[in-house]
Amino acid sequence: MKNYPLWKIIIVILLVSAGVIFAIPSILYTEDSGNWYLDKRLNLGLDLQGGSYLLLEVQTDVLISEEFENFSDTIRIISRENRIKINNIEQKDNELKIRFDTSENLNEIRNSFLQNYRSVKFNINNKVAFISIDELYKKSIQDSAIKQSLEIVRKRIDESGTKEPLIQRSGKNRILLQLPGVKNPERIKDLLGKTAKLNFHMVDDEDSKSLSLNLAPFGKMIVTDINSEETKYLLEKKSRVGGENLIDAFASFDPTEGHAVSFRFDTTGAQKFGKATSENIGKRFAVVLDGVVITAPVINSAITGGSGIITGNFTSQEATDLAVLLRAGALPAPLEIVEERSVGPGLGADSIAAGKAASIIGMILVCVFMVLIYGSFGFIANISLIANLFIILSLLGAIGATLTLPGIAGIVLTIGIAVDANVLIFERIKEENVKNKKIFESIKKGFDRALSTILDANITTLIASLLLFVFGSGPIKGFSITLSLGVITSMFTALMLTNLLIYFYISFTSKKEINL
Amino acid sequence: MFGLNKIIPIDSDYKFLNYRKNFYIISIIAISLSLLLLLFKGLNLGIDFKGGTLIEVTTKNTNIGELRNLLSPNFNELSLQEFGDENTIIIRLQNENNQKSIETVNKVKKIISENVSEFRRSEFVGPTVSSELLWKGFQAVSFALLAILIYIWLRFEWQFGFGAVVALSHDVLLTLGVLSILNIEFSLSTIAAILTIAGYSINDTVVIFDRVRENLRKYKKLELLDLFNMSINNTLSRTIMTSITTLLALFSLYIFGGEVIKPFAFTMIIGVLVGTYSSIYIAVPTLLVFKFRPQDED
Repeated sequence: MKNYPLWKIIIVILLVSAGVIFAIPSILYTEDSGNWYLDKRLNLGLDLQGGSYLLLEVQTDVLISEEFENFSDTIRIISRENRIKINNIEQKDNELKIRFDTSENLNEIRNSFLQNYRSVKFNINNKVAFISIDELYKKSIQDSAIKQSLEIVRKRIDESGTKEPLIQRSGKNRILLQLPGVKNPERIKDLLGKTAKLNFHMVDDEDSKSLSLNLAPFGKMIVTDINSEETKYLLEKKSRVGGENLIDAFASFDPTEGHAVSFRFDTTGAQKFGKATSENIGKRFAVVLDGVVITAPVINSAITGGSGIITGNFTSQEATDLAVLLRAGALPAPLEIVEERSVGPGLGADSIAAGKAASIIGMILVCVFMVLIYGSFGFIANISLIANLFIILSLLGAIGATLTLPGIAGIVLTIGIAVDANVLIFERIKEENVKNKKIFESIKKGFDRALSTILDANITTLIASLLLFVFGSGPIKGFSITLSLGVITSMFTALMLTNLLIYFYISFTSKKEINL
Repeated sequence: MFGLNKIIPIDSDYKFLNYRKNFYIISIIAISLSLLLLLFKGLNLGIDFKGGTLIEVTTKNTNIGELRNLLSPNFNELSLQEFGDENTIIIRLQNENNQKSIETVNKVKKIISENVSEFRRSEFVGPTVSSELLWKGFQAVSFALLAILIYIWLRFEWQFGFGAVVALSHDVLLTLGVLSILNIEFSLSTIAAILTIAGYSINDTVVIFDRVRENLRKYKKLELLDLFNMSINNTLSRTIMTSITTLLALFSLYIFGGEVIKPFAFTMIIGVLVGTYSSIYIAVPTLLVFKFRPQDED
């Protein structure tokens, strides 16, 4: 013991006590306390504390086809002004193909079109015109759509009262949501599943022929009612005012119509709405939400105050949700849920209990076995093993890692694998002990000889585990984190702590031979 | 202290490799069976890789048959399975032509809400995500194997790398074969298990190879077969000890760790058993193919 370097003793004692001190919050506390020390504990993953993980895909394709729709509308208007007949228009991938009746004057059409849309390609080949957009244009549409969507998703989730949500962009066109503690993911999905595009259109009640033929003339569109597919309305395509001009919306109650949503326009919205209503007294206007008519009341008088009320056989929840959606604003494109994992609080609690049981029992089994086989040396290995667990827990807490169910599996596995380094060392000491009888020399040689094997063996495991982290998703990352940390800390405890403890043990018991 | 450490004598001298041909035959048969199973029966892909909806419920006063009768008229591809005890049931649904998750889950919840006391979890994986997960899992396994091979190649001679990879592929194939024959669900956590098995198998092989390399330097005259046998015996007690402690931890995980983690623990147990066997009977004998010394050439 005399020759044992002091710096080694100090490092080991410091690291192990730090491990124990910083593991205590993770072991004892589960609630936030505001104390910096006690809050350095493990975060539990959604699979342990319950909650929802959602992956949403922004349907940017819809935006692209909307853009092409705008193109063809513009082209129709321009050619009407220039008295050129269009035979047909078709869209294929990133290209709009327009067949004109003539090849004359098409250049003029191109010039006026390009005044409206700059970064668009417009080629003419005899009687046919091709309008196409490049990838850059497409990407800029997509990018702005995703940024906007993120914003609106965040607003909607905040309005729903979810605590500590994680909302972030994932990949090219996805949004990742982690909602801890959400008990009813269906309501959240309902809130996210609606685009919530609100528009006010004038109803054309005179042209009943188009409606019966189900064929909308240019500048008009046919929209169905929210309550019955049979009821249809012929509306002006251009909306008079839209949801983007809303500044507030809240659930209210109308004595005759039941649950309703009251809203207020900003100045521009109020002006537009006032103009539309004063010009069209006696006619109907339709409130269109996501492509269906919610209600289509008759305008009795001009509404100039800029506020109004939407009714439509809502339940109280529906009215509240619609108000939330209108306040948060419309999504630029629909969102599709492409992955969902929701865990209820019951299963989470069960998983924690099972994980604890498996860790403790696994630990006891391994410890008993080690003492049975290696006696006092086994006891020393067990101290290292326990110190190792403390260090893993404290490191996980310190780096703010999230403990998942696979993460617990990683810890239990570490318990089994962590003693390996100890075993390698003991077996080497045993061998050396047969050859030379000097006890300290056998121990020293045992550690030296085992070192390269321990490194080789653990680095290979570490490689596999780190690649799991890089390519793994979600809970698998949790597994690879605990396993990687476990491999590293087990090397430290075996080479430093076990080493120190063995020297201590031999010195203090003044043993002359090793009973391994 | 207890003397149990003498169970495996330090000077054991088992002639492991003298029977190697028998074990070659066993392994070749096992691998061929695994390949046939993987080709013709395939793996029981879970929703992570196949897509679909999974709902776990705790029922009240309803058995699995009654639940099935309630649901089956409404869904085409439906399977129900007890999960741990008869009150916990897992409902699996396949994606029906892009039906949205929210509709499927809501529909199921509506139909059986009277019979269920708790909805424990619901998972939905869409078709694009499931194929991405499959591709990522494939990448993870391939890159890990490649990285391990490169590491072994750098640290040892290339012959050792070859032996390690043969043993590794053997372990992964056999484990997949067992998963196929027992129809155990292949999920994301199975990928984690496979990679951990790869790590464990290599770990085990490396320890023996380390000793082979050491002995090759120490005993220049010894016949290769004897030298390999000696190396295996040198490391035998470590091989057994580590397998046992790992298996103890894994059994504890399998029995007490809950239903969700069971397939993972089971896969790992198979892997550890196969990995220990292959380090001795596959990895080391593969080295016999190579001539390590000039005098071995005839």
